[in-house]
Amino acid sequence: MIELIVASLILIALGSALSFKSSKSVFVISLIALLIMLLLPEYRSYVALVIAIGILNLLSMTLMKNQIKGVDYALTALIAIATVYVVFTNDLAMILLMFVITSIPTYVLIMTSEGKANVDVAVKYITFMVFATVLFLAGAMLLVYSNSVNAGYLYVLGFVMLIIGLGMEVGCAPMHEWVPDVFDTADPIPVSIVASIAKIVPFVVAYKILIMTANPLTTKMVLFVAFVAAVSMFIGNIGALTSTNPARILAYSTVANMGYILATLVALINLNWIYLAFAGALLQLMANAFGKVGFFVSIKDGGASTYLTYALAFSFIGMPPLIGFWGKLFILLSLVKVGYIWLALILVINSAMSVPYYIRLARILAKPTIPSIVNAIVLSAVALTFITIVPPNWFIDLAKAIIGGV
Amino acid sequence: MIDIATLLFLLFATPVAFSLPIAFAWVYRPGAEWARKLPILSVFGLFVSLCIALYILFYFPNGTYTYPWLPDYNINFVFIFDYLSKYMGALTALIAFLIGVYGLEYMKHDYRLGWYWFFFNMFTASMLLVVYSDNLMLLLIGWEGLGLASWGLIGHWFRDDDELSYVGIIGRKVGPLNMFWSPSFGGWRAISTIRFGDMPMFFAIAAIYALTGNLNISEIDWAGLFHHIGAIGTVILIIALLMGPFTKSAQLPFSEWLMTAMTGPTTVSALLHSATMVAAGTYLFMRLSWYIEPWKLHHMHGVEMVYLFVLFLGLISALYGASVALGCRERKVLLAASTMSSLGLMFACAAASFWLGKIAIYVAFWYLIVHAFAKATLFLVAGHLIHATHDRFCCGDLELAKKMKVAFVATVFATLCLSGVPPFTAYWVKSAMDGIMHHLMHEVGSAPLYLLVTVSVIYSAFLAKFLSLNFIKGDKPKHLHLHGEVLMPIAYAVMVSMLAVLLYAILGHAEPIAGEFVEKGFERSSLAVGLAVLISYVIALVVPRLESPIGRFLGDRMYMPALNDYIIPKIGWAIAKIVDYGNRLIDTFCHQAIPELIATYSLGVRAIQSGYLKRYVKIALGFVMVALIVASLVRW
Repeated sequence: MIELIVASLILIALGSALSFKSSKSVFVISLIALLIMLLLPEYRSYVALVIAIGILNLLSMTLMKNQIKGVDYALTALIAIATVYVVFTNDLAMILLMFVITSIPTYVLIMTSEGKANVDVAVKYITFMVFATVLFLAGAMLLVYSNSVNAGYLYVLGFVMLIIGLGMEVGCAPMHEWVPDVFDTADPIPVSIVASIAKIVPFVVAYKILIMTANPLTTKMVLFVAFVAAVSMFIGNIGALTSTNPARILAYSTVANMGYILATLVALINLNWIYLAFAGALLQLMANAFGKVGFFVSIKDGGASTYLTYALAFSFIGMPPLIGFWGKLFILLSLVKVGYIWLALILVINSAMSVPYYIRLARILAKPTIPSIVNAIVLSAVALTFITIVPPNWFIDLAKAIIGGV
Repeated sequence: MIDIATLLFLLFATPVAFSLPIAFAWVYRPGAEWARKLPILSVFGLFVSLCIALYILFYFPNGTYTYPWLPDYNINFVFIFDYLSKYMGALTALIAFLIGVYGLEYMKHDYRLGWYWFFFNMFTASMLLVVYSDNLMLLLIGWEGLGLASWGLIGHWFRDDDELSYVGIIGRKVGPLNMFWSPSFGGWRAISTIRFGDMPMFFAIAAIYALTGNLNISEIDWAGLFHHIGAIGTVILIIALLMGPFTKSAQLPFSEWLMTAMTGPTTVSALLHSATMVAAGTYLFMRLSWYIEPWKLHHMHGVEMVYLFVLFLGLISALYGASVALGCRERKVLLAASTMSSLGLMFACAAASFWLGKIAIYVAFWYLIVHAFAKATLFLVAGHLIHATHDRFCCGDLELAKKMKVAFVATVFATLCLSGVPPFTAYWVKSAMDGIMHHLMHEVGSAPLYLLVTVSVIYSAFLAKFLSLNFIKGDKPKHLHLHGEVLMPIAYAVMVSMLAVLLYAILGHAEPIAGEFVEKGFERSSLAVGLAVLISYVIALVVPRLESPIGRFLGDRMYMPALNDYIIPKIGWAIAKIVDYGNRLIDTFCHQAIPELIATYSLGVRAIQSGYLKRYVKIALGFVMVALIVASLVRW
């Protein structure tokens, strides 16, 4: 298994070196590196979904000329590989490394643009990411240490730091300030990567560490999680309601979605249901990734086919049988099962609130249907939102398998 | 040999199927000469129904016939053939057929024949369904069909352009009330009143199904059901169920729709008042009583209270109806009020079954039959008179009687038979009714008997008044156009002759129950009542008109229209006002307050994004500090 990962890494390293020669070959090599992942024996559906997002990211990268053409493919593939590998390992050092590996390439990617390097945005982004990474890593260390020496005080501090670090990394309110600015001013293509695949690893890592270190104190600490989640949902949805700029709407939508996903962490109080919560979180992350890739790629081209933008909006709104519905359903179920009814209620209210701006977004980005690369990419994203047309029981099994490994 | 299922299907489907040609013809070629011949087909459909109903009457064994519908839910097409349904079915089919024949001529020049015949036949089919179904669900289909058809027929002249089709003196106002009603208004009022009663009935049927899992009237364990839900539950359940019959049979205070239903064509009034619609209410009550067998439930106070209530409701409605008819000068409205009175007597008599057993239901049912033929005759005559004199109000003298001999004779015979003048048909039935009310003396007191006698006396008075004002001592008609009608006189002649047949059946002991009637008829008290009725009949014949404020009060239906036209609309407006305020509140809250609040917050949220990293870092790190401090404090 590890051989496959190493082979992929070597491939993309070679590919980056080749970027002096031709950027097209890097694209091909990165694609192969990702496809190799499909040979992994376990968690195949997870791997397939992540690779699908990775390939979508790679494809959308082709729409953009930039200063590091060629290397950007390799960096994108690197994030995808880290995202795949993170579920295979429970080694603390390894999972924290994966956290860093998914974060660092985005620093570079966010700077790229078709004209001058986007330093302004990058400074904002990197500042926040550095804070986030430090808080997250410090929090993780504290949690693990306190768990081994049984120090409650340190556990509390570690928990808070980890959650804030996580929130800052993915863009939960009230640490979300970077999100609207970055999403709005950076080039849409790198943003589509930051907003999609890069969100998965932090949550998986947080899940792994928190489950590993769960103790009776967790019951109280999840209140903090619930608080941040609720604030995030409200800030995100309310902020998006009056925005008319599509990138800004998507920025606030990200804040709201991260709130939904963060809310699943309250299931830590009853580990019997954690698999359901994790399934919800993972599915919602996938839904978010497909939707964000689709929308940001449309923004790059000024819009996409009417049918496609509306399909993406419906997935975000949570219309069955699209993937967004199942994500929210599992999240709600897990919240109800562990007794956080009020949070579930807030989630439902927020879901309802989100309807107008997603429809507005779909309308703003709607264009006549014509054959184009952008439409092809968006169509693939839409097709992926339809994978749950059959109720995704398999996804719950998958979540059980991944979390059960902890 | 046709099997039962086919036969029953034909019974209900033929009238409707045969009315479709005219219905469609009128949609595509309204008023075409060939289309005006199609109603014969509709009447043929009614004739087929009549034949089947008669076949059922003479050759079907008593019992039920089940055809699966929703067998998993124990709801099926269950038809019942017993004493009540066999006679009632034949009666309905016969009267509908005769009125159909009459209608061929009466409606010849109408502008909406397709509409008329479709609803007329649907009306009949619905009534037959009500009559023969044992399953309450199936019965409801017929019941609703009646409501729909009555709306269509009462409002048939929807253009409201013919003064002849109104009720009341056009332009007359009493206080805030308009004392005249148009056909479209009448149709609307009928359906709205009936729906008011149907709603509780639906719920009652649903409750019966929920509690017993069975909807077949003859199979439900009524005693067990009443025992299960207690006295108060019983009262609520039966009254809710009877709200349907009360509104359909126009008992107080739901009587107004029946009076304004006179805006429909006379054929409709005749059918509506004799064998369908209003009879459906009393018929359902009789059928229910037949199988509830209240005379076996004397220990259940809930049942007793309900029957006592129905007894007095019926009697008081009867008195009200009779008084109104006494003061009324419009031909059809007079007859409508008298129908209401008769229906009240049927209810009261059937309700007496609680104390006296099945015999009371027999008497009520026989009264229904006699009343149906007599009332249908009178309505058909009234229709003919309106046609001939172009006047809704009673008018006509001996000269008219000479010109319309058949109508005159039919009216004389029908009024004599219906009012209970000995020895005509209703006398025997009414005698039995007197006997029943007399028996109640011990349990209920003497009020029912006195009420009944009073009603009987008034009843015969206004029937005689109807006869006298239309044929003997009325004003000379302003216009008199006899169009040489043939079918119309034949129809009511046959109709009225049925009363003679009934008289023969009673005196000839053709029915086992008739013996009881005859026996009661020869009792001294019955003879005394008969004499009183005869005297009032004669007096009214001689003095048909008596101007007095009381008469005008009665003629204005004791201002009951105020309830429908003033009080209830006021309540409705009050509710609408409240709803309006609620609406505005919700509107303000949902369409102004919340969006503005959200917009304000949204702008606030977005105002954070000033674009300066310094500010962002301050906020984010500030939150980190606060969170860590709070966490430390809480832990500490």
